Amino acid sequence: MSSALGYGFVLGGLACAAFGAVVGITSGMMQKDGGYPWVRRAVWGFFACMLLANLTMVYALVTHDFSVSYVAHVGSRATPLAFTIVSLWSALEGSILFWGAIMGSYVLAFALAHRRESPRQMQLALGTMMAVGIFFAFLIAGPANPFEAVFPVPPDGPGPNPLLQNDVLMIVHPPLLYLGYVGMVVPFGVAVAALLKGEFSPSWMAPLRRWTLIAWTFLTAGIIVGGWWAYKVLGWGGFWSWDPVENASFLPWLTTSAFIHSTMVHERKGMLKVWTLALALASFVLTILGTFMTRSGIFNSVHAFSQSDIGPTFLIFIALLIVFCFALLTTRAHLLTDERKIDAPVSRETAILVNNLLLVALTFTVLIGTLFPLISEAVRNVRVSVGEPYFNRMAVPGFIAVVFLMGVGPALPWGRPDGASLRKQLLAPTVAGVLTAIVCVGWGLRGLWPIVTFAVAGFAAVVTLRELFLPAVVRMKEHHENALLAFVRSAQKARRRFGGYVVHLGIIMVAVAVAASSGYSQRTARNLKLDEPTQFGRYELILRGFTNGEEPHRTFVAAKVEVKNPSGSVTEMLPRVNYYERSTDPIGTPALLSSAREDLYLSLLTFSAEAGTASLNLFIFPLVGWIWFGIPVIVLGALIAAWPPRRRSAESSLPAKAPASSDPPKQAERGAA
Amino acid sequence: MIALLAAALLAATPHAPQREASEPLPPEQEARVQLLGKQLRCAVCQGLSIADSPSSMARAQLDTVRSLVKEGKTDQEIFDYFIARYGEWALLAPPAHGFNWIVWAGPALILVLGAFIISRLVRTGPEPSQASKEAAPPSGPPKQDAAEAEDPYLAAVRAELKK
Amino acid sequence: MKGMKLWATVAAAAACAALIWVMAANFGKDPHEVPFMLSGKPAPAFTVDEIGSGQSRTLASYAGKPLVVNFWASWCEPCKAEHPVLEWGARNFASQASFIGVVFEDTEDNAKDFLQRNGQAFPQMLDSTGRMAVDYGCSGVPETYFIDAKGTILTKHIGPIDPRTLADYIRKLSSPQPAPSASDNP
Repeated sequence: MSSALGYGFVLGGLACAAFGAVVGITSGMMQKDGGYPWVRRAVWGFFACMLLANLTMVYALVTHDFSVSYVAHVGSRATPLAFTIVSLWSALEGSILFWGAIMGSYVLAFALAHRRESPRQMQLALGTMMAVGIFFAFLIAGPANPFEAVFPVPPDGPGPNPLLQNDVLMIVHPPLLYLGYVGMVVPFGVAVAALLKGEFSPSWMAPLRRWTLIAWTFLTAGIIVGGWWAYKVLGWGGFWSWDPVENASFLPWLTTSAFIHSTMVHERKGMLKVWTLALALASFVLTILGTFMTRSGIFNSVHAFSQSDIGPTFLIFIALLIVFCFALLTTRAHLLTDERKIDAPVSRETAILVNNLLLVALTFTVLIGTLFPLISEAVRNVRVSVGEPYFNRMAVPGFIAVVFLMGVGPALPWGRPDGASLRKQLLAPTVAGVLTAIVCVGWGLRGLWPIVTFAVAGFAAVVTLRELFLPAVVRMKEHHENALLAFVRSAQKARRRFGGYVVHLGIIMVAVAVAASSGYSQRTARNLKLDEPTQFGRYELILRGFTNGEEPHRTFVAAKVEVKNPSGSVTEMLPRVNYYERSTDPIGTPALLSSAREDLYLSLLTFSAEAGTASLNLFIFPLVGWIWFGIPVIVLGALIAAWPPRRRSAESSLPAKAPASSDPPKQAERGAA
Repeated sequence: MIALLAAALLAATPHAPQREASEPLPPEQEARVQLLGKQLRCAVCQGLSIADSPSSMARAQLDTVRSLVKEGKTDQEIFDYFIARYGEWALLAPPAHGFNWIVWAGPALILVLGAFIISRLVRTGPEPSQASKEAAPPSGPPKQDAAEAEDPYLAAVRAELKK
Repeated sequence: MKGMKLWATVAAAAACAALIWVMAANFGKDPHEVPFMLSGKPAPAFTVDEIGSGQSRTLASYAGKPLVVNFWASWCEPCKAEHPVLEWGARNFASQASFIGVVFEDTEDNAKDFLQRNGQAFPQMLDSTGRMAVDYGCSGVPETYFIDAKGTILTKHIGPIDPRTLADYIRKLSSPQPAPSASDNP
């Protein structure tokens, strides 16, 4: 019953997507407005069908309806309710179904938010998005069908992968990632519509930017939460292993970050139009590539879903996408000419160009590194591995350079700089950077890359903080406002700028935390005996005994370790080993003692209750908690930047302040991003 | 009681009993073991190094590295040992020779190429049509951001910073 | 600039085409397969203790006759499934090859328990440190190695072995030249 119903909804979604795509694109290309209401109805239909299909699946999962093939694949009566619902996206077919629902929601939100915009543009944009919807609906209806009926109906199922039932973060991480990934469909649609139409009116720049920023924010949060989950759950003490699927989520993040900056040059100078749109298209293509990499079965990855035959279908779609984007860009590029040139090598425009270069080079590096094992095997049948040592060596300098640019860029003006004022601008931050390095070395820290990171972070932080607070200080003087009001007003008046700098602060924080926790971590393996204290770092550890427990889907044994820190307070930590029915290897859950300064991380490997011994891996990670704190900072900054200003009409082209807007950047103009 | 439970667990659903690792070597050598371990790939995991992976196969491999270090083998000899058995696949970064240069030199080439393109884009000296630039209304910034850009206090910021 | 743009477009198109080709070429390959380099190489020397007697055994003591080495562990389901096949093989081909089993990633008690319940037709060793397994390029259990009389590893079979494959390999071990028998393939 659920099978048929759910499948019916999927087919309905496919029909709506097809209808919307055909009507939208033909009507838009023929410059007719009549199709617009129909396209909007198709969008509503697609959304409704996808949502209902998902709800049907959730219902089937919760009621343990094992006649539905997906439920038979991942369901289990023993799984707790929360994880049963979550198993909607825990395996391949369900995850694509979930993708469809999120996509439907995004496209609908876009359609509603911009319903009063130019019908022709909207038809093209929505039509394009619906075309992408065709592909996914087709996947769900065909190769990746979760609604197949199963005969005979099994009494129970194996349950989702044990690793996915370990922590509450697993409930949060995939939806966030999907919201980021799938969100790229909207900027893609807008960019394609602009190119199809052959012009890119500036009034579309803001929506394009805003929707990209929304997707970017979710993607950032999803990636960092994923790292947090890996750190808390997997027990090897790391949060990023340059796994192919992790890299796949990182690639669109890099190009989207480049896009966010290149739109600034586009906006100010009317330059880089083709490049900016190409970045928007590339981000979407990389998203689909990433989805392919996770599901194709050709990559060796912790995240990879099991082998399936949807790989070839996906690859064909990617090929078609690339061909389409290429054709679009090459045939329309001549319509989008640069209006000005960059006329100063030391200027903010150039800094942004270098930023783009670095981010795109990083994209290539991660892509080549991830694909090289496949290249090697395809070309010469020799298998090689490309892992952490490679990526760390190649990518770390690039990231440090990007953080450095975060300091240089805002300090440089648009257009030609004035030498003297430039030197004055850069003096304080440079001093801060150098001082940071000196303090680090003086404090006893060694190691080139971490210290360089800290110095660069100090440099960039001073610049960013100055940009955040100086306008408020000026307001206090000029308008005689108190500090708080001045600060809030200065933020309100220049939301994008303010939000952008808050995001920069968040990134700097994450960079420092990553450098500290990777560069200065301590690790060791110890065999602890009952009641015998061991010293590790600033802590004294004593094994006090064992405890065990039973949960519906697993049993576990935990070691009771008493930890005393220098201030004297004692905490009990319980690193444990979990036994699942589905897996022969026990899976450990580490125990964490977090403080602002560092994390103490215990991972239980083996134990012997009779002998009273336990073998543990012990780690100390300085500052690692600040990585997770980066999430709210970055999200807050992005929200501020993306918040639409209160205006009379959505994208009116009536000037608010007529003369000022057309002025080209003056000589030493600084300020607004 | 725990012993019973553990035994019952192990009998009911078969699980790989986790073995304790061999005793760590003196700190200098142990540091070398960990460093080498970070560069060698665990034979059963999905891309983790033998230093990071908690699986028993990885720990057997790390123990092997430990005994090789104790025997006085050089780093290259230890890598060669694993390459002889598992191929270059056992190293987490492909050795830089022959075909593998693609992955090491590729990113650098992209960077150089990009820098070249940027240098061509950036011209020193103002455009001759400066005047026409000023006058031409750009299809540029949407008005709402211009409103942000020209707020008077920012002009004051500029003035302030010039002092 | 136009020339450069053309070159850039062509290069980008070629790169994308190469990308698609590389991914398509990898369909059907198993990304989890671990490379094995010791086929045709001399078998590494080993010293392990026999389960039960505790006596130490070396590779040298099996020289002159083909040797089948089976790596296994008590907790591994496929190992349990293939155990009868190996028992049969050890008895049936006793004149053609020696059989030994090596337990690793496990404890002696577990191994003894397993053998008591499932029978033991050939000598079983315990690789307590896992060194022998790593020496042999093992990547999990069960794996069965086939070593000829001269001490060269012919090949290894990954996963539980079936009687026909076992017979095939032993025949290959016993034939004087390692001539590829065109008729049957495992």
